[in-house]
Amino acid sequence: MPSVKPLRVSDETQNATQTATLTERPWNVVVWDDPVTPMSVVVVIFRKIFGYPNNKATQLMLTVHHEGRAIVWSGPLERAQGYCVKLQVAGLLATIEQDS
Amino acid sequence: MAGRLFVRRRDGRIEVRLNDAGREMAREAFGHVLAAEVDPEHDWHASLNAPINPGSDVDDPLAVFNRQHDVTSNVELAVATLNEEFLNDAEAWAWLCSLQVALRAFITAKGLLSADRLEESDEGTRDYIKTLQILLFALADVM
Repeated sequence: MPSVKPLRVSDETQNATQTATLTERPWNVVVWDDPVTPMSVVVVIFRKIFGYPNNKATQLMLTVHHEGRAIVWSGPLERAQGYCVKLQVAGLLATIEQDS
Repeated sequence: MAGRLFVRRRDGRIEVRLNDAGREMAREAFGHVLAAEVDPEHDWHASLNAPINPGSDVDDPLAVFNRQHDVTSNVELAVATLNEEFLNDAEAWAWLCSLQVALRAFITAKGLLSADRLEESDEGTRDYIKTLQILLFALADVM
């Protein structure tokens, strides 16, 4: 059996990080409406990037269309940022914001 | 417009039925995206560098780098396959993303971010937008 060195400082740091992760407010990925993007294109992009089924992707697209914006994903900052970049690469107007 | 511009074949490939004028328009749009990515003076440059987190003064440099890399990769793949008769799914996705980036960059550069502004724009501008929309709609329909 390999010997394991106790790593007190790292453990404490890790615990603190985990606690912060659990208590931190999530980040929202927001998609904004524009007057030109075809609705079916938005649905395809949501399906492809998030793997959402067609009905969920369509519902989110309609929220963007009728309300001007929709939160399409929420979670940790790094992943929210990654999704936002993918949406921008696909040509949608997307931003991130921390949940209030 | 007669016929469908893109057709999903039984073997999974997407047939491109654009005529020379359609391919030329796509080539021009892709060319603008490529140029705008590296040229800060290009009209479309600002749209390609939209904020990721507007609540922060500066976006994460890694996220900005990833965006630039992925936009460029997509448009380079789209340009490389412009004359192909068939596209696979990855190539069709690169076309869709690049055409949509072009559409958004075009309206952003022209300040046409509302339906009212769009209505007030000139006929040539509206025709260009409509043609890109037709290409996008047809492509999304087979994806």
